[in-house]
Amino acid sequence: MKSLRRFLARVRNFLARRRDDERLREEIEGHIALQTEANLRAGLSPVEARRQAMLKFGGVEAMKQDYRAERSLLFIEHLLGDLRNAARTIRRMPGLATVIIVSLAIGIGVNTTIFSWIQMILFQPMPAVSGASNFLLVEPRSDTSGYPGASWLEYRDLQTQIPSLRDLVASQMVPFNVGVPGQTERTHGQLVSGNYFSALGLKATIGRFIRPEEAEHLGAEPVVVISYDYWQTRFRGAPEAVGQTLRVNDRDLIIIGVAPREFQGTLVPLKFELWVPATMTPALLGGVRDLEDRSSRGFSLIGMLKPGTTRQQAHAELSTAMAQLARNYPDASAGIGGEILSFWEAPRGPQRLLISGLAILQGVMLLLLLAVCGNTANLMLARGSTRQREMAVRVALGAGRWRIVSLVLSENMLLALLGASLGAAFAVWGTTALRIAPMIGAFPILFPTKVDAFTLAFAMLLGAACGLIFSAPPALHLARLDPQDALRSGSNTPPRSRARKVLMGVEVGLASVVLIAAALFLQSFRSASQTDPRFRPEGVLLAAYDLSGRNPNEASDREFAARLLERLRSLPDVEAAAIASNVPLDLHGIPRRSFTVQGRRRTEPGQDQAICNTVTPGYFKVMGIPLLEGTDFADMRDKAAPKQAIVNEEFVRRYLNGANALGRRIQTRTQNLAIIGVARNSVYDAFGEPPQPALYFSYRDRPQDRGEIHLRTRGGNEAALTSETRAVLRELDPMLPLYDVRTLSQHIDRNLYLRRIPARMFAVLGPLLLGLAAVGIYAVVSYAVARRTREIGVRLAFGATSSRVVLQIIRENLGAIAQGIAVGWLLALLISLHAFPNSSFNSGVFLGVPALLLAVATLACWLPARRASQIDPMAALRHE
Amino acid sequence: MKQKTDVLQGTLALMVLKTLDVLGPQHGYGIARRIEQISGDLLAVNQGTLYPVLLKLEQEGAIASEWGASENNRRARFYRLTRPGRKQLQAETKDWEQTAAIIGRFFDAKAEDLS
Repeated sequence: MKSLRRFLARVRNFLARRRDDERLREEIEGHIALQTEANLRAGLSPVEARRQAMLKFGGVEAMKQDYRAERSLLFIEHLLGDLRNAARTIRRMPGLATVIIVSLAIGIGVNTTIFSWIQMILFQPMPAVSGASNFLLVEPRSDTSGYPGASWLEYRDLQTQIPSLRDLVASQMVPFNVGVPGQTERTHGQLVSGNYFSALGLKATIGRFIRPEEAEHLGAEPVVVISYDYWQTRFRGAPEAVGQTLRVNDRDLIIIGVAPREFQGTLVPLKFELWVPATMTPALLGGVRDLEDRSSRGFSLIGMLKPGTTRQQAHAELSTAMAQLARNYPDASAGIGGEILSFWEAPRGPQRLLISGLAILQGVMLLLLLAVCGNTANLMLARGSTRQREMAVRVALGAGRWRIVSLVLSENMLLALLGASLGAAFAVWGTTALRIAPMIGAFPILFPTKVDAFTLAFAMLLGAACGLIFSAPPALHLARLDPQDALRSGSNTPPRSRARKVLMGVEVGLASVVLIAAALFLQSFRSASQTDPRFRPEGVLLAAYDLSGRNPNEASDREFAARLLERLRSLPDVEAAAIASNVPLDLHGIPRRSFTVQGRRRTEPGQDQAICNTVTPGYFKVMGIPLLEGTDFADMRDKAAPKQAIVNEEFVRRYLNGANALGRRIQTRTQNLAIIGVARNSVYDAFGEPPQPALYFSYRDRPQDRGEIHLRTRGGNEAALTSETRAVLRELDPMLPLYDVRTLSQHIDRNLYLRRIPARMFAVLGPLLLGLAAVGIYAVVSYAVARRTREIGVRLAFGATSSRVVLQIIRENLGAIAQGIAVGWLLALLISLHAFPNSSFNSGVFLGVPALLLAVATLACWLPARRASQIDPMAALRHE
Repeated sequence: MKQKTDVLQGTLALMVLKTLDVLGPQHGYGIARRIEQISGDLLAVNQGTLYPVLLKLEQEGAIASEWGASENNRRARFYRLTRPGRKQLQAETKDWEQTAAIIGRFFDAKAEDLS
């Protein structure tokens, strides 16, 4: 209580900056006057009386110190003094300070930006949803093929069978065509369960949300909830939007409400505009994704734990429920268990892609920051040795070691925090730029990140940590200083530069680790995008049409496709044309279907499944996928040929044990087909995937309302075919739109988009890091050389040639640098063996990066060395 | 070394409180003189050390101060005991007497008393 009061009084005095030194002075004067009078009365002479009084009072200065220490917060006063001093020192070295602050700001800014993304995924996986991080993913997991998602019926079963979870929510992303025929627009939405909005705890901006009963019966309620942005851009935010109809996939849906402003769905960073009850699937998607098919797994499930329950409990319940389902529906659910996962553990989808990239990126960027710290420590150390004299004077005048350390610390901390502030500003700019940057393609991405207090705290913490790291070497160095020695030796002896060289080596080593990691990452990305997809993407134009508004039947669909293909093939620039139901490397994935193969007895439970695509004859020619055996599909108008199928090599290997496939029969749910050909394996879902069995149906046997036109151009400029294709379609049906026109390469780019973000950052940061390392080496060497002016002058005076001097300086510094590179190289090798265990030794990267670093380092040494070697020896000897 | 000054400061604070209790409001010189008179040479050389102690007591709220006129009509800072200060003095006096009594008994004790 007492000490609290005393502390508060001190704080008050400190804040009020009360300087009642005046009061003390007056009290002392009064005291001495009274004592002097007393001494006079005792018979002393006036002079002696005053002298005795002063003696009796004791040391005034020491007492004043005590008094001041008592009055205020001395520690903070010292700190402020140090900071003032630091600000002065920094102002005296604007160039150096700028280099340090900017390089720190870059390092901290990049780290903060990445952290804000990671933080978003960890703590705010769904913007506008409070407590979003409490939601857990409920993921069915197949023993053989990873995480396939849940089927609708499975969702309905699980809803009641996991009592620990409140409100299990299902959603599935789908592309919609919105608008009247002729003017449709691709818009991305989610098919959702009835409890979607209520479980997320959202409040409609206007109108209402989907009610549970509206997602109860198939094809029940034609309603749609639109996003805030969609409402603003399409309806100018008019309240009358609610109640209007929206033409979606040629069905009228009634707009019932507008989602909250920030809300963008449950699959961040994807941004959705429409939410439709899942039970509308058959009406909107023509039964393509059958809600009643347990093997059609497209839904993602999330749920929140009820209070008092644990994840283990929920997991146990899920496992029991999944085991039960596997017993009841062995065809669709055998071998499929389940897992409860946090959002950041997402095992599939866009989040997975993003998180894995970001984690690597953050690690590498922290290393980069460490390299910046090394750089800064080196510069400060170099500068610190010029200040030996100043520090020695301070020590000689009675400054304690701690005062010296705190002086150095406060200087560096000030630099670090300035860097962190600038870095935070960079991060603010970076995240905003990312938010508003137009995202290429029709693919809806929005990073809902912003720099909040937490992110700022992260930036400052990083800054403080950096400050501590790069203060340590110079502070230790200066605090150990022997004042006599330092004052005596002055500045004309070369300073011991071991510490600086070690730091330089460490920094270059770090740079080589980061650069090699970045190069490997880029390479793996490039090789992913450049691996042979085993089809020929260049020269192919894709465009989609949709007849579902025309009340089509099988015959009209077939006829339309046949006529369309005939017209397209007659275009002079078209080498080959085909229609298919799916395009490989689609972000939405390609559906899998179950079937049985004649002559095969499945030993394990479940059904054989394969990726399915329905294609017209000519598809393999357009895609450049060779048929290894058999022939292409029969002509579209051939009515005689039996139903046909073409399989790929992996299919033959896995389901036919490599036996002759031609003529074997396949039974699907509705059709019995004969295998007439074997196609080469190609990439279907993702680059780098293991070979997947694929089954191609003929468009002739299974005509569809919608199709993706594939055109291979003769000329090489596939995009030029767009207008001709439109014209052809218009001739056939003037009202039918052609949508989603893109080249196959563009289509693949979209798939790679999420992976490309980290890759691009690496591409930018690699050179940046190289630049940082070069600046660091340059600064250190030029500094060291400047300190040795006199020595170099002596050498030159004794007849050394300037090239010898240059060589010697380079040799001295390259030793440390080469060691650093070697250690970094080994480290990078270990990391790469760990991170990319399957890849072979990448000699280009592992030889190229060190070579590049050495070259840059040599240049950075050579420049100051050459300058030093060109001095006039006489001037150098007179120097100081 | 440090401990010794702590003890000194602690005793000094108690003496200041007692002085103000007995004499009423006093300026620094008056307090110093009184302590000198009673304690002998405790403040003979370092009267100045009194002032940080006064400030500490004031910041703790045990004493208050205001400007007034000294006997020779000089401006002087007069210190007086506050109510918490009086309580503190009573408590510390009791503590001190107890401690002193115990220590005294120890010093009086002879070997045979302890066996």
